[in-house]
Amino acid sequence: MNLKLKDIHVFALVAALPILIFSYILFGMTGIRVALGIVFVSLPFYILLNKLELEEGEKFVFSALLGLTIFPSLVYILGFLISFRLAIAAAFIVFVGIAIAVIKYNNSKKVT
Amino acid sequence: MTRGMKLSRNYIQTFIFILLYLFAVYFWTQPLQARKLPYGEYDAMSHFEVGDYMAYNDKSFMKLPPYIDLRYGTDNKFKQHTLWYPPPFHASLGIMEVIGGDRLISIFLLNTIMATFIIISVYFVVNSLFGFLPAILSALLLVFSPRDFMPFLWGQWPERFAYAFIPIILYCFYKYFVGYSKENSKPLYLHLASLFLGINMLIHPLVFFHSVIGLAVLYISLAIKQKKIVFNWKHVIVSAVIFLALFLLFPYQTFNIFPQFTRGNGGENSNFNLARLFQWSLNPQDYIGSVPAVYFSFREMHGLWTLPFLLLGILFLALRREERDIFMLAWLVSLYLVLHRDIAGKASFLHRSLSASAHIFAPLAAIGAVYLASFVKLPSNFNKYLKYGIAAVFVVLAFSMNMAYASKILNKDTYNDFFATLNNEEYQAAQWALGNVPISANITVLGIPHQEPYQSATSKKIRWFAAVSQHVTRFYHLREDKEQLLKSKEWYIMLDYTMLGPLNDRQTFDEMQQFEKTKLVSHALVYDNKGIRVYKP
Repeated sequence: MNLKLKDIHVFALVAALPILIFSYILFGMTGIRVALGIVFVSLPFYILLNKLELEEGEKFVFSALLGLTIFPSLVYILGFLISFRLAIAAAFIVFVGIAIAVIKYNNSKKVT
Repeated sequence: MTRGMKLSRNYIQTFIFILLYLFAVYFWTQPLQARKLPYGEYDAMSHFEVGDYMAYNDKSFMKLPPYIDLRYGTDNKFKQHTLWYPPPFHASLGIMEVIGGDRLISIFLLNTIMATFIIISVYFVVNSLFGFLPAILSALLLVFSPRDFMPFLWGQWPERFAYAFIPIILYCFYKYFVGYSKENSKPLYLHLASLFLGINMLIHPLVFFHSVIGLAVLYISLAIKQKKIVFNWKHVIVSAVIFLALFLLFPYQTFNIFPQFTRGNGGENSNFNLARLFQWSLNPQDYIGSVPAVYFSFREMHGLWTLPFLLLGILFLALRREERDIFMLAWLVSLYLVLHRDIAGKASFLHRSLSASAHIFAPLAAIGAVYLASFVKLPSNFNKYLKYGIAAVFVVLAFSMNMAYASKILNKDTYNDFFATLNNEEYQAAQWALGNVPISANITVLGIPHQEPYQSATSKKIRWFAAVSQHVTRFYHLREDKEQLLKSKEWYIMLDYTMLGPLNDRQTFDEMQQFEKTKLVSHALVYDNKGIRVYKP
């Protein structure tokens, strides 16, 4: 699956439509929220993997697997210090921060 | 073919897969769609309880609350009374309960998505190595794989998700190995294999061992094929650090692997029997009472029509022996080894490993079907037509045979069980108890049949009540301390009249009325709704 970056993002948005409609028909707003929830936990990892030399399909599948496992690991640990709900937001910020830091570090390495 | 045409073809193929996957989610969630009530065996209750506790109480926890500890307090041999599985799987359920805003649908839907992730993994790997047609046919067979959805229904939730990692781990390692040379290599794939292997261990240790065996077989097979030993200290050390970091992340749980691994071997299956080497499945007689006999049948689980395609697929790959063919064969051999570990004295949970059969059988059968046309030499485009013709027959058979059989087990009436599953009134009462009964109090129940032949089923109902109410819940009539219990400030009394009407049990109804009048005079009625009454001490 060697799809162009912009194309794949447009395709992802188009493909999201039947997923959201399907989720809503079967499980109402909860279905939609769960579908978006999976995107939410996977997004930081997609941002990170997007900058690595991986195929587009690999980025999607790997980021979903990491989002459903590594993301909750940090939430669980933070959940001892702060509320579980806050921990979800904090984990998102931490992982997006890590992704951005890695991308910047890689870019600066390329420049030098 | 132009680049634009290739792009649009890729989009269409991915879109077709998305539609198939949505159908899989639809098919697997039928019991939830029908009733929106919790269902499953004891394992399902425990996984629901752990995820739900974090979300509802808005905190992580180390020490098990009493209603979970009662059954699982000693399951973690390394650190008793703590979580017996590493927490990522359950924390994921908890996160989705928070985001989804609903206790049941969020958890059961996410669990379905994680249990069906094997369909995504197999599609992705087979599509990457063999193309779209074998991939989509494999995915189609997996949608209707009873050996996958039966354990999912029973409640082996983390294990189902863990199996999705095996093809991904093997794929990452394969990409590293085949792309390896002294001048140019992609260590990223080895690091990813290590990362997913570590995560695999955090999801389910049994499946982790399966992955390890798979990696060993794949490495040896590729090394023989390519006549080279791939080893790079730098790559290995970085990967080992990644794995070790994950291993040490939740030590109370991961260290539980060692006492689990060294414990008894599971009993009756451990005697060496040469005939076992020539059998794929296990003897159903060894699992009477715990696993239905059909679970061990190839005909029922895969469909006998897939057998010729499966054998052709293996034959084709064995004859061709390209790197990607070696990948599939190594995966098959590793499952064979895992399934025959009883010969080495490790017979525990053998039947659980059998549940991974379809993950490799489905792609092998699909490859056999797709490449069948290449066995005969035909003029011009006829091979192509023949290939699509066989694929069409494959699809028709999958729907007419596999889906038809799967629908008998998995449908909207699955777990529509009067005795074992909570009814709406009981679910509402459990929700009320969650918000209104003090956390230190327990609940004892009258009205739900506690005697045989009902008890084995109604015990599940009682446990689901405990899971939803987050309180220890027990049958009143099975307590030996009935008199003290009535005087205790720790026990709420619930009278459930909802089952007596359908059972036409007038005698129990009268006894419960009398019980309320005579035994509960000093208790206060705090809940009275739709045939369920709760008294506060």
